Amino acid sequence: MTQALVKIDGLQKWYADFHALRDVTLHVGAGERVVICGPSGSGKSSLVRCVNRLEPHQGGRIEVAGTVLDDSPAAVHRIRLLSGMVFQQFNLFPHLTVLENLTLGPIHALRQTASQAEAHAMQLLERVRVADQALKFPGQLSGGQQQRVAIARALMTNPQLLLFDEPTSSLDPEMVSEVLDVMIELAREGVTMIVVTHEMGFARAVADLVVFMDQGEVVESAPPATFFANPANDRTRQFLAKLDLAA
Amino acid sequence: MPRISHTRPGEGRTLPRPDSDHGWLRTVRDGFFSGWISGAITVVFVAGLATILPSVWRWAVADAVWYTTDPSACRAASGACWAVVAEKYRVILFGTYPYDQHWRGALVVLFVTGLAVLSSVPRLWSARLFVVWAVAAVTVAVLMFGGIFGLPYVGTNQWGGLPLTMIVFITSVVFGLPLAVVLALGRRSHLPVIRAVCIGVIEIVRGLPLVSVLFMMIILLPLFLPSDLTVDKLLRALIGMVVFFGAYAAEVVRGGLQAIPAGQYDAAKALGLGYWPSMFKIILPQALRIVIPALMNDIIRAFKNTTFVSVIGIFDMLGATKASLRDVDWVRYSTEAYIFVALVFFLYCFAMSRYSQFIETRLGREDTR
Repeated sequence: MTQALVKIDGLQKWYADFHALRDVTLHVGAGERVVICGPSGSGKSSLVRCVNRLEPHQGGRIEVAGTVLDDSPAAVHRIRLLSGMVFQQFNLFPHLTVLENLTLGPIHALRQTASQAEAHAMQLLERVRVADQALKFPGQLSGGQQQRVAIARALMTNPQLLLFDEPTSSLDPEMVSEVLDVMIELAREGVTMIVVTHEMGFARAVADLVVFMDQGEVVESAPPATFFANPANDRTRQFLAKLDLAA
Repeated sequence: MPRISHTRPGEGRTLPRPDSDHGWLRTVRDGFFSGWISGAITVVFVAGLATILPSVWRWAVADAVWYTTDPSACRAASGACWAVVAEKYRVILFGTYPYDQHWRGALVVLFVTGLAVLSSVPRLWSARLFVVWAVAAVTVAVLMFGGIFGLPYVGTNQWGGLPLTMIVFITSVVFGLPLAVVLALGRRSHLPVIRAVCIGVIEIVRGLPLVSVLFMMIILLPLFLPSDLTVDKLLRALIGMVVFFGAYAAEVVRGGLQAIPAGQYDAAKALGLGYWPSMFKIILPQALRIVIPALMNDIIRAFKNTTFVSVIGIFDMLGATKASLRDVDWVRYSTEAYIFVALVFFLYCFAMSRYSQFIETRLGREDTR
């Protein structure tokens, strides 16, 4: 394994008195793809949201690209700039055009000029195949198109790390594949990715490591071949059986 | 055995709606006599109008005196004396402003009204409007104060009537709205001191009648300020009006802020945007758009609230009307004068009300695009 880009050690998190993450340790090397799965409420979303401080953690340690995530605004800002995030609900800005959604961050957080940011944005929109929608508003796009715009937006800061929080869970079935295709392309280009998803096909195709979480703990983690063929833990087996039924 | 019939693709016919026949007779029947309750309401309402309207007509039109310079002509008539409007309109519209300088006040009214109309056109919305309004503020000040360009100086103690009403109104809104945004953001701040101050201002001002806010500004403020610092009475009243408007509108803005989904904040943070760019570029544009109809309500109320400044001796249009009726020859016809003032207020407020409906449907359309 190369030098770890993300080091999560003994992470603890509570929502009020609810113990949401219990001693979670996960190291992700540069260029590695980790898929996190598990039943709802297992803490997988909380885990990725802790990595860029959308949620604070109360114990343990998170380090991204050599920066330790603590309460200092500088550390938080640095980690947010070198990571991009894609959400379940897209979270595009509805009052801005697709192009403006992309350029807003670089212009205000990186002090890029508008023309610089726009050129970069058009490249990325091309890459996720929605360049022809650049001047439309998010509400005029299909769910799949919106999520691809969101991916392009997350790429605008040239992040070393991409965080995906159930990126296909609120998409209509026929749009899942167009989003997954883009994600697979990114994975093949060697972007480091932490992906919370139930798309086991995606996990099989690109993941270096599949992590199964339940009740705030990492129950099992293994490369996809081992994980799917020989799950070690009962809870993992039960979960996979349910997914198979659903699929 | 379930029964289901299938239409072959393309074979379903388009049929006209069976109830699409709309004669006027049908419209009347459906609208006014659709059942016995509806019919009874129509009859009672028409009977009521038939009793009231003739006497209103006699007083306001048939027996009214439309124009005379002689009050005794009014006294002889049994109807309304509209002549009082012609006799007193200069004082009603411009108060104690020097008579031969009234044209300056008239220019201010036309200028500000015109600019307000232009600013309402969505196509003209841009940052340039702020510059235009800043220039307008200077122009209005030059016209009202004078003292340069050969215009005689007129102190604020002589200002009055409709120009004053508009100055108070525009100032309350133009300075009150930014204050509202600051108070609303402050109330949601994570810093306890800022939050406490904002909650304090909002709750104290909302808990007081406007009249007492104005009295506080006039009577209490000088007690707290150093004795050699005197603040113009109109300016003190304006500060009171701005704070009053700001406190109310702050709660409206806060409602808009709360309506923005948490995901918008998440996305802004994930992009590395700081507090101010997130607020100004992402949260506030959406929040303010949501609350425009509610804000228009507060803005219309601000126009009517200008009349409160007359209790502290500033002659807005209503105060000027009252003052003009100290003339013993015409004081009997105060009703007619007040109806005229009411009409002017109604025109402005109704225009704003219609505008708020227009903007509501327009924004509604944008949401579904």
